[in-house]
Parts: sequence; C-alpha cells; structure tokens
Amino acid sequence: MHSGKGSKNAVKSWTALFPALLFIGLIILFPIGYTAYISLTNMNIFNWFDFRIIGFGNYRRALFVFNSGFLRALVVTVLWTALNMVFQLAIAFVMASLLNVRKLRLRRVYKTVLMFPWAMPGYVSILLWRHGMFNAQFGLVNQWLYTLGMEPRRWLADDFSAFVICMVVNLWLALPFMIMIMDGALQSLDKSYYESALIDGAGWFTRSVRLTIPAIRPIIAPAVIITLFTTFKQFDVIYLMTKQIGARTGANIHTVLTYAYESAFVTRNYGYSSAVSISIFVMLIGFSVLVAFLRRRGQKA
Amino acid sequence: MKRPVEKIGLLLLNIFFIAICFVVLVPILYALSISFNAQGGLLGSDFRFIPRDFTLAHYRAVLFDQPVLLWLGNTVVLAVSAVGIALAVSVPGAYSLSRFRFAGRQRVFSGLLMLHAFPAILSMFAIFRLLSPLGLINTRTGILIVYVGTMTVFGLLNLKGYFDSIPIEIEESAAIDGAGMWHTIKSILLPLARPALIVTGVMVMIFVWNEYIYAITFMTGASNYTLAVGLYTLQATEMTGSWPIFAAASIVVSLPILIIFFATQKYMTSGLTAGGVKG
Repeated sequence: MHSGKGSKNAVKSWTALFPALLFIGLIILFPIGYTAYISLTNMNIFNWFDFRIIGFGNYRRALFVFNSGFLRALVVTVLWTALNMVFQLAIAFVMASLLNVRKLRLRRVYKTVLMFPWAMPGYVSILLWRHGMFNAQFGLVNQWLYTLGMEPRRWLADDFSAFVICMVVNLWLALPFMIMIMDGALQSLDKSYYESALIDGAGWFTRSVRLTIPAIRPIIAPAVIITLFTTFKQFDVIYLMTKQIGARTGANIHTVLTYAYESAFVTRNYGYSSAVSISIFVMLIGFSVLVAFLRRRGQKA
Repeated sequence: MKRPVEKIGLLLLNIFFIAICFVVLVPILYALSISFNAQGGLLGSDFRFIPRDFTLAHYRAVLFDQPVLLWLGNTVVLAVSAVGIALAVSVPGAYSLSRFRFAGRQRVFSGLLMLHAFPAILSMFAIFRLLSPLGLINTRTGILIVYVGTMTVFGLLNLKGYFDSIPIEIEESAAIDGAGMWHTIKSILLPLARPALIVTGVMVMIFVWNEYIYAITFMTGASNYTLAVGLYTLQATEMTGSWPIFAAASIVVSLPILIIFFATQKYMTSGLTAGGVKG
C-alpha cells in the first residue's frame, strides 16, 4: 500500500484533495459557518450593514414560538414525508411485482415509459403540472370537468387540495426511481417469490408480506433512506406549484425548506431565516446519525 | 396450468399497464399536443390529444421571438465548464481518499457525507452576501463556482466509491514499473472507472441544466439567463395565455436532457455509488 513513507505521502494526499476541498470550503463550508453567524444577529432588510449580535433570540423564536410558523412547517413536513413514503413504497412494490409477472412481453416498453418522469427536468415537469393540469383557466383537469358539465375549480387555492396535488406531483416524480430499485431487488430474488403474482391473488398478498418484503428489505434499504431524506428536503414541488414569488396561488403550506427560503427572500428576516436553516441542518445531521446507528444495530442483530 | 385464466389475466394486466403509461404521460402529452395545436387550448375549446389544426408556429415563436438560443448558449457554457472543472477536481481528490491512508482521511470522508445531506438552498442567502461584495453576482463565474462547489461533494463521494471497487493490485504493478500517481490515474484507473466518470459527469450536467433557484436569484440580467431562468420567466400565469408557447419551450428545454438520460441509462446502475438520486 501507499503508506509508510509518512509525511511525503500526507503531502501528496492533501495536494490531490486540495482543489476539491477549496471549492467545497468556499461554497459549502464557509457559507454554513456564515449562516450560523448571521443566525445570532438581527440582520434583516433594515439592518443590512448595521446589524448586531443578539444571541439565541432567533432560535428561541423559531423553535419555541408556535405561531412563528417554523414548527407548523415542521409538522407539515413530517406529515408530507410520512405520507409520501407510505404511498411510494406501496405503489412501487405493486408496480414492480406486476412488471415481473412472467410472460409479460411488453415489460421493457412499459418500463421505459414509466421512467419518463425521472428523465424529464424536474422543474419543467412541475411547471407542466401546474400550468398544464391544474391551471384554473386552461388546465386539463378543469377542461375535463367542464366537458362533464361540472364547475371548474381553483385547485391550488386552498391548503388541503394543494397539499394533495403537490403529493401527487411528488409521487409522479419520485416513483420511477423507487420502481426501478424495487424491480432490481425483485429480480435478484429467486423467481418463485413473485412470478405467480397474477394467478395467486390473495395468496400473493400473504406471500409478499411474509416472504418477499422481508427478503428485499436489506436490498432496498439504502435507496429508501436516501428517498426519505430527499422527501423531507423537498423544495421544488411546493415552491413551484404554490409559492412562486409574484404568482402565489393562495394555499399556505410550507415544508421546512420553503419556509426557510421565504423568511430569507420574501420577508427578508435574514437572522431568523439563518436560525431556521441551521436548525434544519442540525435535525438532518441528527437524523442521519440515528439512521446510521439503527442500521448498524440492525446488521449486527 | 389453467391457460384461459392466465390469458385473460395477462390481457387485463396489459390493459392496466397501457392505462398507467397513458396516465403517467398525460402532463407531457398535453404539453406536446398544445405545442402543435393552432387552436390554443382554452377552456371549452374541445381539446383533443391529436390536434386538428397542426402548426409549428409556437416552436417558431420560441426559437426566433424569444432569446432561447442565447439561453441555450449560456446553459451549455455553464454545463460544460461545470462538468470539466468538477471532474478535474474530483478525480484526484477521490483518488486520494480511496488510495492513500493519511491522518484526517476518515474525518474528511465523514465531513463529506455530512455536507452531502446539507440542502444547498439553506445557505443561498449567505452565499449571495459573500459573493456580492466580490462582484460575482450576475456573472457566469459566480454561478459556476456555486455549481462546481455544490456538485464536488457528490463527485468526490461517487468517484471514491467506485475507485474503492477497483482492486489496488492493478495499480501496484504499475507503481513497481515506476509510473507516477498521475500516470497511474490516467492510464489505469480512469479507463476502468469509465461508468462512474460518465455518470458523475452526466449528473453534474443535469444538475446545471435543471437548476433554477440559484439561477433566478443570482442571474438577474436578461443576457445571462440560463434555459431554466428563461423558461421560468416564460411561465403562463393564471391570467396570461402564452401557455402554448410555454409548452413548446418546455419540450425544447427537455429534449436534450431526455436524450442524454436515455443514452446513459445503462450506466446509471453501475456508475452510481453514492447518494444515487437525481438532483
């Protein structure tokens, strides 16, 4: 191995790493430190230059005052993450199982089509959903309703229907990846696990719960954990569907990320928004440490 | 086995999948259809997926009345430079993390994993405030540094993961022959790591192509717009009716990414080792 030559090797290792670490330091590490610093000040649109350190007041407001909005956003985000994960895992499992039914000749065609939402640029898809499907004037959903003789609706104007629609869009975006992962996992199993999904009916269901799911669990675990984090960190769907600056739809739902963004770039309370950002980061780190710990314990057992 | 039952089952299953595929594609098909449709697509205009009055006018409007070619140029310059720089700094860095055992290595690695969990959007304000006195707001250089910095974490982790899977013995024989580190990387490691290089490069490219929130915040001058910002400004709001143009622009913007995605899809499973998700 390349060890042994001591300091000469250390110099070489750090030299090779230096350019990458310089970029990361400049664009990620230093700004995080700076955000942490701002979070302790009263910087806002009025105190752009003459801000001062005020201690942990911003954190107190974010974490302990319920109507400040952050805690509400956190509750919504947890609910959002849980619901999305449940639907995603269930739908992806059923779809992957059906895709693996023996003698399904057009399997590859279906798989390719189902990958489209993953391949499309995410923001374009979200905007197409917003303007194409759910626009009150020319959205396809309202056109269909109109044809059926029903009243058109402003779909994104109230919290509940906006939340449901954002979830549908998120599932649409995220399912291809999960289906691909589940499909790969199923194919790594012995065929007898799943091949008669079609013929067995109820028998298939019990077998899935007792045999197939426990068997694929360790294979899909890393992808599920990654998706869990991405869902929690979701910004684009909620922002582009309902919260664009200058084109709000009226719904007032926030994930923690859209909330942090809004307190920085809309209400321009930079100190407070930085405190929210750092709190989210700490939660994410705590969460990843917990997940890593649980996985290590699960592997030992 | 009960043949007829199985046959009917298969038939139903195929019908099911065709229906699902249609439902999945509806938003894209609708945009595609509207973009070719001369009748617009307003409420009650009796919409059909196959337009009765076929037209290319919306595409002509997108390509010639809107500065789409300028946006495309900006995006390509940014994407190519970001891919080049991100790979140039990630390859030696990942090699170092994968092959050398030095004090602080484990700490760098855990640090990277932690930073990988950090959503870039949270520090956007801090970056804005840091770049603005340097005169880097509304410049290509500024946004390029942001993109490279953001994607280097992924690049390091993904390439390190792949380098780890290549047996070190192959390089050791080269080292005995007296080849230096750079030569070893270039002539032995990189050819073997092709899938990971392609996937890392494609991920950086897709990231730059699809990134809009930094771009709309930092690139305020119309001459610097990327495709994402341009499309963002073209959005039809609830009131305006430029929806057919927006639909055509969406298709134009998405096509290159769709082609690259499906062309490199076979590498995706083998070339992704860290955090294997889009975006």
